[in-house]
Amino acid sequence: MTAVLSTHGLIARYGDFQALYGVDTELNAGEAVALIGANGAGKSTFLRSIMGLLPVSRDMVRLDGEPVGGTPTDRMVQKGIAIVPEGRRLFTGMSVEDNLRVAIDQATRVGAKGGWTLGRLHQLFPILKEKARTPVQSLSGGQQQMVSIGRALLCQPRVLLCDEFSLGLAPKVIREIYAALPEIRAAGTAMIVVEQDVGLAQSATDRLYCMLEGRVTLTGRSAEVTREQIGEAYFGAGHAVV
Amino acid sequence: MQWFDALVQGILLGGMYAQYALGMALMFGVMRIVNISHGDLVILLSLVGISMASAWGWGPLPVLMALVPLAVLMGWVLQKTVLNKVVGSDPLPSLIATFGLSVALQNLMLQIWSANSRSLPGGGIESQSIEIGGIYIGLLPVIVLVVATALTWGLDIMLKRTRFGRALRAASADVEAAAMTGINPRAVYALATAVAVGILGFAAVFQALRSTVAPADGPAQLIYAFEAVIIGGMGSVWGAFIGSMVLGISQGIGFRIDPGFGVLAGHIVFLIVLATRPQGLFGRA
Amino acid sequence: MTMTAIPYADTEAPDVLVERQSRSGRIAMTLAVLGLIGLAVMPWWASTGTIRSVLELCCYIAVAQMWNLLAGYAGLVSVGQQAFMGAAGYALFVLAQTYGINPFVAIFLSLLVPAVLAVPIYFLLHRLDGPYFSIGTWVVAEVFRLTASNMPIVNSGAGMSLRVMKDFSSFERNVAMSLLCAFMLLATLGGSYWLLRSRFGLALIAMRDNPIAAASQGVNVAKLRFLIYVAAAVGCGLAGSIYFMAQLRITPGSAFDPMWANVAIFIVMIGGIGSIEGVLIGSLIYFIADRWFGEYGATYFVVLGLMTLLVALYARTGIWGLVSKRWDAPWFPIRRKLVHRKP
Repeated sequence: MTAVLSTHGLIARYGDFQALYGVDTELNAGEAVALIGANGAGKSTFLRSIMGLLPVSRDMVRLDGEPVGGTPTDRMVQKGIAIVPEGRRLFTGMSVEDNLRVAIDQATRVGAKGGWTLGRLHQLFPILKEKARTPVQSLSGGQQQMVSIGRALLCQPRVLLCDEFSLGLAPKVIREIYAALPEIRAAGTAMIVVEQDVGLAQSATDRLYCMLEGRVTLTGRSAEVTREQIGEAYFGAGHAVV
Repeated sequence: MQWFDALVQGILLGGMYAQYALGMALMFGVMRIVNISHGDLVILLSLVGISMASAWGWGPLPVLMALVPLAVLMGWVLQKTVLNKVVGSDPLPSLIATFGLSVALQNLMLQIWSANSRSLPGGGIESQSIEIGGIYIGLLPVIVLVVATALTWGLDIMLKRTRFGRALRAASADVEAAAMTGINPRAVYALATAVAVGILGFAAVFQALRSTVAPADGPAQLIYAFEAVIIGGMGSVWGAFIGSMVLGISQGIGFRIDPGFGVLAGHIVFLIVLATRPQGLFGRA
Repeated sequence: MTMTAIPYADTEAPDVLVERQSRSGRIAMTLAVLGLIGLAVMPWWASTGTIRSVLELCCYIAVAQMWNLLAGYAGLVSVGQQAFMGAAGYALFVLAQTYGINPFVAIFLSLLVPAVLAVPIYFLLHRLDGPYFSIGTWVVAEVFRLTASNMPIVNSGAGMSLRVMKDFSSFERNVAMSLLCAFMLLATLGGSYWLLRSRFGLALIAMRDNPIAAASQGVNVAKLRFLIYVAAAVGCGLAGSIYFMAQLRITPGSAFDPMWANVAIFIVMIGGIGSIEGVLIGSLIYFIADRWFGEYGATYFVVLGLMTLLVALYARTGIWGLVSKRWDAPWFPIRRKLVHRKP
């Protein structure tokens, strides 16, 4: 069975600096995969490379087996991959509803099929309905994260890339957001979840990858991987977790 | 009464300037690019229109209907061939590129049309006047003002309510995030420039009707558009409109004080606004 | 947990030299000195017409280098430097013609005018975003032009003539012009080179590459930008005074002619922005093109404009940028290289 999304020897550079040194991953339909690792390990770079925000060779990223590496970002969205970017990156100056409408507009324009509607989103995150007309920059961090997720979902993605939801959010808010993930999975969307909080990552996903300095150092089923294994992979072999 | 007359003339002049300023505000708001050849494009369109009129005996309305689509096409081509290559965080390339284009255009027009001033024959509309509230105002300036208001209103609605407008605002807020939402920035920019230059099509006809046009006039129009946008405050379509009014009124009053002082009065008001409220009258601090 | 110090093994500092000059630089320096001397002694080997042409070329070089400093290092793209050229030119004419001050002294006194004017202008304009700053400088130049057209002290629109120059013989004037040329190049090119080699130079290059990073390293970016702006204003003023003294006549239209901006931008972009070598190359190209093709008038300028456009799109680093990618042989070396001392 072909993976929905797979990377093969993914290499990425920022100018002279090499950030990824040949990363192999795969994501199957209906799966949720976690990507953990220390800061600077290359997790965000990995997601950005898939989305065409960094130049990569065609064959390094495959969608349903088709090479799509380096496709421009907006075309990747049309192919069914959406990203909830690090730092939320909402359109400041526009209302919550307008932020979401932008996604609806684009999905309609390309005839994307999918079950996500504004109504369904309001059920998932009721606050979005309440604050529909509010300018997006006056929302709290957690509310902004919900808008960002909603915006990505309204692109009707088959694959959702989630870059560090929990960054800068209070635990209660994080739980609220992660509580919504099962419903997103139930809709048939496969997910890659980049997450700093290892425990959270393990509990929300089927499998995980751990990265260190641009390479995958561990992969396994989330429920089976041990603390020690993660510790070694996270920090590098030979470093004790005290 | 003299001063009221100056005020009215100034408002009508502002209507003209608004048509220059709208396009500039749109392009800068969306792409952070100022097209130095903005004024030269108006002059080019005017001269083309004048040539069409004299070659085929057209009146102003047919010229308008031909120029606006031509202008839209020009804007689209400009974006695709030149501006899309220089959009980015570094302002220097777009400045130099459009500067070079401006020099090239002015001298090309000089070659083709010579330095003589020309105007568009309007079949009498330039001299007609209407009576409003007891005073006589020229019909053409009123038309210019009405069209300017309609264009501003239309642009504002477009930005707020249409899909294209939302995509434009998204791209100007965060172009990468816009791409992540499925927007093709290059296509959006091309349409924005097409609209911006399309508006200049109207300005071109009106400018050629109300006064004369010569190849070297471009920079002056650029400066008026720029001053209007700064006075009104960047990031606001109605701001550009009001800024144009303020500029027009300043020039009108200055002209009434002394005919040589008109343009300078506008510059001085611009500098005062720059010194005291640099974000513009309607800009956010 | 106790902390213990880990002693560094005893090592010696590496035996290195800081190399600041290169062979190509030494050659260029020699040629430059010879060139300056050649300039200064022009009256003895060149005709008056040649001296006038060379003077014009030197003015282009000076103005271009000032634009280069502004845009290439301070990130300030000005299209209105002609404001300072005309201001100094007019000051010269007023001081020398109206007040009878020795014209050669007046040239230096006239520099006070652009220096003083630059301060409020900078404060007015510096808050403007990139391209709006540029147009702002153009507006200022236009304001100067309109004001001069209406100022009786400079004879308004009719302009002024520098008749006092008749008091000097043709030979004396030639000597003066030649020396002023040499001085102008020394001040603008030499001054820039000296600046770039000094510690200000490091700050400037840091500011050029990344203003935010530079600021985080303690570079007072705002103050440096302001100082560069004033220096460039004075430099352009010097070129203006010298140019109009040679012209013997000044009018508002010629004093504040946007042509200077066009030429400066062309020279720097074609030659290579951010390098003194680029200014020299660009000036030479412009000078030759002007002599050969200037007679074609408007078409010639169309080509200039298009070339500027194409360079901005496809070859932003200009000729020197392309050359220096291949061969590392600067004429004006400003880098510091660490070189192992030979034992």
